[in-house]
Amino acid sequence: MSKKYFIVVFWLLIWQLVSILVHNSIMLAGPLDTMIALKQMILTGEYWRSILFSAVRIMGGFLMGSILGILLAWCSYREKHVEDILKPFIATLKAIPVASFVIILLIWAGNKILSLYISTLVVIPVLYLNTLGGLKATDAKLLEMAEVFRMPILRRLHYIFLPSLYPFWNSSLQAALGMAWKSGVAAEVIGQPLGSVGNGLYQSKIYLETADLFAWTITIILTALILEKLVLRILRKCIVNR
Amino acid sequence: MLIQFRDITKTYDGKKILDGINLLIDTASDSRDVILRGPSGIGKTTLLRIMAGLETADSGSIEITMGEAAGGGGKLRIGMVFQENRLLEQFTAVENVTCVDPLISRVRAREALRNVLEEEALDKPVRELSGGMQRRVAIVRAMLPASDLLIMDEPLTGLDAETRDRVIAYIMDNKGRRPLVIASHDTEGLPKMRELVLDGKG
Repeated sequence: MSKKYFIVVFWLLIWQLVSILVHNSIMLAGPLDTMIALKQMILTGEYWRSILFSAVRIMGGFLMGSILGILLAWCSYREKHVEDILKPFIATLKAIPVASFVIILLIWAGNKILSLYISTLVVIPVLYLNTLGGLKATDAKLLEMAEVFRMPILRRLHYIFLPSLYPFWNSSLQAALGMAWKSGVAAEVIGQPLGSVGNGLYQSKIYLETADLFAWTITIILTALILEKLVLRILRKCIVNR
Repeated sequence: MLIQFRDITKTYDGKKILDGINLLIDTASDSRDVILRGPSGIGKTTLLRIMAGLETADSGSIEITMGEAAGGGGKLRIGMVFQENRLLEQFTAVENVTCVDPLISRVRAREALRNVLEEEALDKPVRELSGGMQRRVAIVRAMLPASDLLIMDEPLTGLDAETRDRVIAYIMDNKGRRPLVIASHDTEGLPKMRELVLDGKG
């Protein structure tokens, strides 16, 4: 633990040192300036409202993307034709740059819930591919056993599929959540919905408030990290510690 | 209930494993239990898998005439011990027994498991149990659900003489009128039953 703190302190010192050397708070704000900016932001209601605004949309998109990805993967697992049909769709979702999605959806749906749509689209392929991988990796002998005993489908899910899916979901939800936040905030920066974290970031940029920009960045990282821990904890509680 | 396997044949990689196997199981008969005998690789497991509906025969037919007592909705309900244990490793012995059938309560599962296992083994994840203990869990799992036919592939593997007697007694005491088809290398301790010898010649 102390080693971990030492590493953090080491990099903070390097950051501070470089900022002193650069000696230009527009080019590079130091950790002290950033902390001061963060403290000032925390004291305002607007800061918390922005976090709530973005978190609701991005996590909503994450949830929708996860559910859709899982449902589509289940359909593909049950029916090979569905997997074949979905292959180009999933490949397209993976390949299209987030910025292109943002601009298209901005035209189609406006900026209010843009981050929700974007994070949904980013999460779908991650959950789809990992869930399908987990389903295909399920022990065929256990499935055969379930077939012989005519185990009800919900019991098969609970006892056979979920334990097999857990390692796949554990890593993919972690990756998907990070991607949802990155793309969701990027969508807000481009779309500029008022009162969002992305809008806060953009405002910092146009007023050349680098310390504020860093403070918003720290906010995004911490929020995503806390929610990631929460999601993984829920997953663990639901599957491992049942 | 009558189960009739008629002229069952099965070929793997050009080699005929089963050739014209016939077997009639009549639940009303006293000789409804059958032991499959024969050397390893002769097709005992394949025949059991065909009986369980897990594989299809290349030719031949399986006819099932359900009696009034049968309750599987026209389908044969099977309790099976596989060649491998096929247990849910992270779940307890009790959960492994209750998971296959919502009608099996934890109390009933515990009671049944106590016949063949020590109390302290019942709530441990099965991956922490020895191979022999896991085998016994697999046997209880096959025995408890309501079924029309019991199929057991080398159920006594990995059991010492004393446990073996205990397990055989448990199976025979609890199988009721259900026919038992068992593949076993050695028949020591097993009650006398009809034999079907597979010699690869049909």
